[in-house]
Amino acid sequence: MSVDFKFASLPKQPVPRFMLSPRRILADVLSSGWVESTIPFLAFICVVVGVALTTEDYFVASNLRNLAQYSADGGLIVLAMLIVVAVGGIDLSVGSNFAMSAFVALFCFHILQLPVPVVLVASLACGALIGATNGVLAGLIGCGALLTTLATMITVRGIFTLSSQAQMVEISTSARIDDLWDWIGFEKILTMPIGFWVLLAVAIAIFVMFRQTAFGWHVLAVGGNRKAARHGGIRVKATIFLSYMLTGLIVGLSGFLFAARQNSISADTGIGMEFFVLTALVVGLGGFVPGRGAVVPVLIGFATIYIFNNAMINSGFRGDFVQLCMGAIIIVILAIDVKFRKNRHRLLASTYLDPVKVTLAPTKGMAGLMPHEIVPKLARARILGAGELDGPEDVILDRDGNLYCGNRDGRILKLSGPDHSEISVVAKIGGRPLGLAFDAEDRIVACVAGMGLLRVTLDGKVELLTDQTGRSLLSVQDDTSIRMADDLDIAPDGTIYFTDATKRYDIDNWGLDLLEGRPNGRLLSYDPKTRKTRTVCDNLIFPNGVCVTHDGKHLLVASTWGCSILIFDLADLASGPRIFLDGLPGYPDNINRSSDGGYWIALAGMRNPILDQAMKYPGLRQRMTKRVPPTNWLFGNLNIGGVLRTDGAGRIVDALWDAPDGPLYMITSMREHQGALYLGGVTNDKIGRLELETADRGWTGQQSYWGKG
Amino acid sequence: MTLEGVLGPNTTIDDAAGITVEAPQAVCVVDDRLLLLSSGNAVLAISRWGDEPRLWCSFDQPVMALCASPAGTIGIGLANGSFAVHDKAGSALGGWGQPSGLASVTDCLFVSEDEIAIVDSGYRVDEDILSRAPWDETGRGQVVAIGRDGATRHLAAGLHCPMGLARDADGELIVSLLERAAIVDLAGRVRQSGFPAYLGRIRATGTGYLLACLSRRDPLIEFLKTETEFVAEMKAKIDPRHWISPRANPEFSHDFPIELGATRLFGEIKPWAPSFSYGLVLATDKAFIPTGSAHSRANGARHAISDAVVWNGDVIAVSRASGEVLRFSISREAA
Repeated sequence: MSVDFKFASLPKQPVPRFMLSPRRILADVLSSGWVESTIPFLAFICVVVGVALTTEDYFVASNLRNLAQYSADGGLIVLAMLIVVAVGGIDLSVGSNFAMSAFVALFCFHILQLPVPVVLVASLACGALIGATNGVLAGLIGCGALLTTLATMITVRGIFTLSSQAQMVEISTSARIDDLWDWIGFEKILTMPIGFWVLLAVAIAIFVMFRQTAFGWHVLAVGGNRKAARHGGIRVKATIFLSYMLTGLIVGLSGFLFAARQNSISADTGIGMEFFVLTALVVGLGGFVPGRGAVVPVLIGFATIYIFNNAMINSGFRGDFVQLCMGAIIIVILAIDVKFRKNRHRLLASTYLDPVKVTLAPTKGMAGLMPHEIVPKLARARILGAGELDGPEDVILDRDGNLYCGNRDGRILKLSGPDHSEISVVAKIGGRPLGLAFDAEDRIVACVAGMGLLRVTLDGKVELLTDQTGRSLLSVQDDTSIRMADDLDIAPDGTIYFTDATKRYDIDNWGLDLLEGRPNGRLLSYDPKTRKTRTVCDNLIFPNGVCVTHDGKHLLVASTWGCSILIFDLADLASGPRIFLDGLPGYPDNINRSSDGGYWIALAGMRNPILDQAMKYPGLRQRMTKRVPPTNWLFGNLNIGGVLRTDGAGRIVDALWDAPDGPLYMITSMREHQGALYLGGVTNDKIGRLELETADRGWTGQQSYWGKG
Repeated sequence: MTLEGVLGPNTTIDDAAGITVEAPQAVCVVDDRLLLLSSGNAVLAISRWGDEPRLWCSFDQPVMALCASPAGTIGIGLANGSFAVHDKAGSALGGWGQPSGLASVTDCLFVSEDEIAIVDSGYRVDEDILSRAPWDETGRGQVVAIGRDGATRHLAAGLHCPMGLARDADGELIVSLLERAAIVDLAGRVRQSGFPAYLGRIRATGTGYLLACLSRRDPLIEFLKTETEFVAEMKAKIDPRHWISPRANPEFSHDFPIELGATRLFGEIKPWAPSFSYGLVLATDKAFIPTGSAHSRANGARHAISDAVVWNGDVIAVSRASGEVLRFSISREAA
């Protein structure tokens, strides 16, 4: 079908390449995860500078190597403690475990004369066994972590003392020499000791574990909210058990490194280590924080405490005075950190919304078509599924006339044709299904807010197509995740074009995007052949509905808060959007083809003079969000909506409204199918079906896109 | 004051019995027996609740206010700022002079059998006072007394949107102010303020007062009062019909602004949603401290209560939004 508009003659829609706003940069910085480590990092810098100024040659290479040599075992234990704290526990037995593992290593090496790899395994097994004991008691049986590990600490310390006293002389007098043993204890790679590289490797492994592995996520989930984790299907007890065992394993590794380096133990080996480690952890995390696997901050905290302690002792201060100073400084650091965190959230809350002046084109092309000027045609619509649906944002029909819609509870529902009275569940996706489209194989492709782009077969199989795209250039905030996939359409070559309506707000607070008025959304594409997702056009104002034109050469995109319809040339997407239609009387949502070669445009709400004016006052909107309760914020009128019909060139030729208090008050989608128009609304609990008197009764969307199939 | 405690929400007004009346504005009790109702240009009468209202008298102007003297003389305020005086039977009593320069009569009260006090809000009927009141700082209202002999006394001037007139416990005249949400005396001294509503008429009940409220106050409107540049542009460029303001009707319209919490869900407005229109009658003691209240909430239709009186032990109130005269009781807080 030919269209009677010339793409090149349409006005260009300016699209900013990036957003430059001091308030936004501040908000993005404050919302970044790494900002949480600001105070521990500054404390670290202060300690380093303080020590550098007061201690001559402290940070020379030889001393740094020396520090790395002796800090590895402590660093490993801090990381081990991080795991058990992250899962919501504590391990007071790390010092005893460390000493016992070191003893086992020395016993196996010097008394049993075992090969070094076997010594390593024995040491790890010892640590893991003690960790497993804690795990059984604290995780599986449910004894309190504090008391359990206190008991383990005392018991293991007792066993260590008895065993070490019995074997200490023999160990000390052993003459066994082993190259590998000495290599582990004293050799260097790239000028740094083996222990340092082991610490680095373990730190990276734990970092990856927390970021990328299911077990790491489970640990954080259990630590964050044990009940919620259980309800989420996580095996809480097993996760806690494994965390303790992993902690013990790492402590065992630390004991082995200590044994290889020192080749001896004493009665006070590992005594007080648990408090040193906990101090480092608390300084790094800014408190005792379960559910947070922050490896880098914890290592920064450890380095701060270690260097401070080491520098003071090296300077000749008495041990008790060093402890006093450490305690005082830790209290200061924690107090500043707590204050910073508290005010950070306040500052973030007051800066996140960043309104900008928006001047909308005046309403045009609506003469004689406004709600008060014509009869409300939607009042004739038949109501389907009343009270049985919850927020059918989009509706779509298959070749057989069955009607499908998304539901607020994350299900895709089917209203079987021809009368659509029988409702069944096609699939349970989760998230919030919004836009829907059928692909050439009659599968539903769905935009799901909070999840991304999914594909659902009619027998209920769900497949995630994509949930990420490339990160925007110059964005402080990581915007790779698709936050609010809204609507989609499929081009003749199978490429799926879809919108991420806003990168800054979720489905529950998307209204703030209107008050902000900034171009926070983007148009994305997904190629099923290559499974690649790319950003077609960033920085659009709430891009919402998507529709491939009848000729398959262009793409229409509704800009909801811009009250306009943009158009892209599919053969030259890089040239950016042009304005297909602007000055709409309301906020456009989905767009779909009509049987006469034109398009249907759903209006989710209506503009009004007051809000149009308020959009020119960003300061007012900013102050309003601070001083007025959210429920009283001035907002777009989403209580009245409708449907516009345009011709192929974008001229509005008809408008469908319901009576002001009618049931079809907010329209977010509509589909024409065999002479009838089906209407959905994201805040409604029903679907409307309007008989179209002049429409082609044989026309269906499926045939329009994919032929007779 | 907030809508809590004795002012806490209920559905008393929505649950009340009602009589449909076209364009009602005011009610008035005569001799405890007869209830007069204004209906457009007419005054209707009923002797018993449930009776069909009968025409009592009619005018060429909308009737805005009604009052009765102890002797049973009826004062009728009209939209063009004039008034009429009738006897109990509905016959006009001649000889009373007419005030000049009044925009509209919003309430009236017999000071004596020979003199009637009239409240003029300063706004003509075609100037929607609800739309304009929050944004107009000028006090245009006045209270004048007209003697049977035609003599006019200016009792008060410069009042900001005066709506109702009553006597306090000492017999002194007091005035309810719409936008200032206050009760003042004729010297402008505030007797009570901080009411959570835009006040309509005030009526003495013997034990205290009934305050008819045209809408409830709204945090957004209060906030916008500080946005002078925005308000100036709104007043200069936008039709008052579209202004942010209290409204009489809870209607949906495509060109009205709404507040975020007022979005319909499943087609319904939540009762607790913010709304620019509301139905509220406050009962107070003689010190104007609220003792009870009756509500028609955001999802109700009986909003814009312009008048309320006590008749045969019940509260009779006028809902401009629904075009009804309502009967209900207000449970009072134990004194």
